[in-house]
Amino acid sequence: MPRRISWWVGGILMALLLLFTFSTLGAGRPFGASTYVPYFAGILFDLDPQKYPYLQEVHNAGAWEGVMLLGALVGGFFTSVFITKSFRFSIMPTGWKKYKNNSITSRLVWSFISGFLLIIGARMAGGCTSGHFLSGMGQTAISSMIFGGVVLITLVVTGKLFYSKEALDD
Amino acid sequence: MIDRILGMFTTVSQEPHGSVWIVFFIGVAFGVIVQYSRVDKFEKIAGFAMLRDTVVPKMLFLAIGIASIALYFMVEAGYASFHPKPVMLGGLIIGGIIFGAAMAIFGKCPGTGPISIAEGRIDVMVGAVGGIFGGLVFTVYFDSFKKIIGESLGKPTLVSLFQGHETLVVLIFGIGLIIISIMIPLREELDSEDLKQLES
Repeated sequence: MPRRISWWVGGILMALLLLFTFSTLGAGRPFGASTYVPYFAGILFDLDPQKYPYLQEVHNAGAWEGVMLLGALVGGFFTSVFITKSFRFSIMPTGWKKYKNNSITSRLVWSFISGFLLIIGARMAGGCTSGHFLSGMGQTAISSMIFGGVVLITLVVTGKLFYSKEALDD
Repeated sequence: MIDRILGMFTTVSQEPHGSVWIVFFIGVAFGVIVQYSRVDKFEKIAGFAMLRDTVVPKMLFLAIGIASIALYFMVEAGYASFHPKPVMLGGLIIGGIIFGAAMAIFGKCPGTGPISIAEGRIDVMVGAVGGIFGGLVFTVYFDSFKKIIGESLGKPTLVSLFQGHETLVVLIFGIGLIIISIMIPLREELDSEDLKQLES
């Protein structure tokens, strides 16, 4: 069994999954993956939906994505152990060491900050890579094209400014 | 808390969007595809931000290109329906800037993050805790965020803007994206630690 699939096999499979999710045979809804976060925050911090209207707004979509996410964790785990053989505990991404710095503290602090901002940004825009890029642009939605354009530009500009141009020597 | 977690399954089972098992299966398939194509890796997403790896944009554009054409004909045949998101300029632009910058630094997005936690990435776990706090802050200060997000300007789609030429427009859009996905030169930033495990 091959240990990796190429970008085009991945792209075709992702398109099929997206179509299945949209179809009345599957879920009859778009595919999304950032609404579960405020949904889980509501559960973990025991927030009362009566007091926080946003929790009422995400009640159904958050639950759907929560169940989907459990599946993604299971699918990701078994694939990493048995197929890609990539399962291992690690704190420092090789690429961070190569193009940023060697400090675990730096990586963890930036992970926390960027994880925080990632969700704020996704919830402000009403979607993420899944909900806007895949599902939204798959429907030729104008909102998702605006989001997609802004994200692509900011992503590449941040990449240029934040990381060093050459690989650092270790 | 337990009853609210169990309530999650009840909510899904009462909704007309697939049984709990179908939704779970969609998640499993998503986890397998993302993991198998390795696009959950820091080197793939932050690597794309550094323009050292192009697997993410190639795969994304190909998937969108195929899906947009097929979905259009599925909707025409009555097997699916469109649910586009509203245009809210403040949210899309400011949210997009915050999201893009965070994605470049984190090297993950909300869908791929959990999948890389599933392969043992502890730094992403820390980022997920940050994400939960992001979800908390957004929920608590939703009224203030709503002011930045702005009013909805409707839910237009490219196809709906060209009435009478829908099929042509969706074919140009979809085929255009597929061609772009093929034309983007393939570059890969591989993780040497990751590859070492294949040798043993």
